[in-house]
Amino acid sequence: MRALRWLLVPIVVVPVTLLLLHGFSRDPAAIPSALIGKPMPAFSLVTLEGRTVTASQLRGKPVVLNFWASWCPSCVDEHAVLLDAAQRYGNSVQIVGVLYQDSPDGARGFEARYGQPNWPTLLDPNGSLAIDFGVSGPPESYVIDANGIVRYKQFGPLTPQVIADQVGRLLGTAGAGGG
Amino acid sequence: MTGPMIHRYAFPIALGALLALGGLILLLVLRPGLAPSRAEVAHQIAADLRCPDCQGLSVADSSSASATEIRRQIDAQLSSGRSPDQVKKSFVDRYGEWILLSPSAPIAWLLPVGVLLAAIGMLAVWIVRSRRPEAPAATSAVSDMDRARAREEAEALDA
Repeated sequence: MRALRWLLVPIVVVPVTLLLLHGFSRDPAAIPSALIGKPMPAFSLVTLEGRTVTASQLRGKPVVLNFWASWCPSCVDEHAVLLDAAQRYGNSVQIVGVLYQDSPDGARGFEARYGQPNWPTLLDPNGSLAIDFGVSGPPESYVIDANGIVRYKQFGPLTPQVIADQVGRLLGTAGAGGG
Repeated sequence: MTGPMIHRYAFPIALGALLALGGLILLLVLRPGLAPSRAEVAHQIAADLRCPDCQGLSVADSSSASATEIRRQIDAQLSSGRSPDQVKKSFVDRYGEWILLSPSAPIAWLLPVGVLLAAIGMLAVWIVRSRRPEAPAATSAVSDMDRARAREEAEALDA
């Protein structure tokens, strides 16, 4: 009976340690998306150039929807990754930027400084699209398949590897072209 | 008041106090309160939702752009006839359970409380056991008769 009492130590210590390990090994700011596997929210927003883009227009090819802002430091590095991805994937993937709590002038200044994209940037003046996607802060991106179903959420800046994996998975070329 | 009188009246007084307390609790629970206004309902929903782009603030307490838009959406949804639960669910559908400042599943509350109670119970048992007086020592193996005989023999030797 006395020896059994010592069994209580691992019974208590092991689960608590595992729980703490799990808790400390994840980013507390990263929020799992509730939209994975669901259709992307409907929207109709105007681009920096004044063109209207709707969610239904984006169907037919994989979409990388990128919430960004000119005041977001990690969006600078991510912009280079997106420029590279746009060149790499060409017309097979649609990249769409969504301006998050920023002014059109701020966005234009950013693009002039870090490279003009060939993809549209949507203005989301009251942040309703960001709320519909459950965004908590830029940069945050969603990979959406050709049928408009949200397949992946990237919390923080996109990397070439993430794009290669997630977009490649939808194009049937997963893992190729990363690095 | 003398001792016997206290004994005589103690039970009715205690019963009366208990009944009064029970009545008060019933009154507090069942009393028909004033229906909260829509602004109050909206504020309560906002207070239950986490501000997405702040640190540890509710939507009601934050002035961020996201919190402002969420408050506007809460008001719009309530105006369109949606219930508070439906409004909350619309945000849970987008952000997941994370958006709720208090978890909706009771297990999330009950589990830590259960573990805490179990730990306190085990600690209490351990303390009580460790304080219990030692069992009286076993009776001596040498009987009084043996002692008497040994004493007699010793006296005989001394003599």
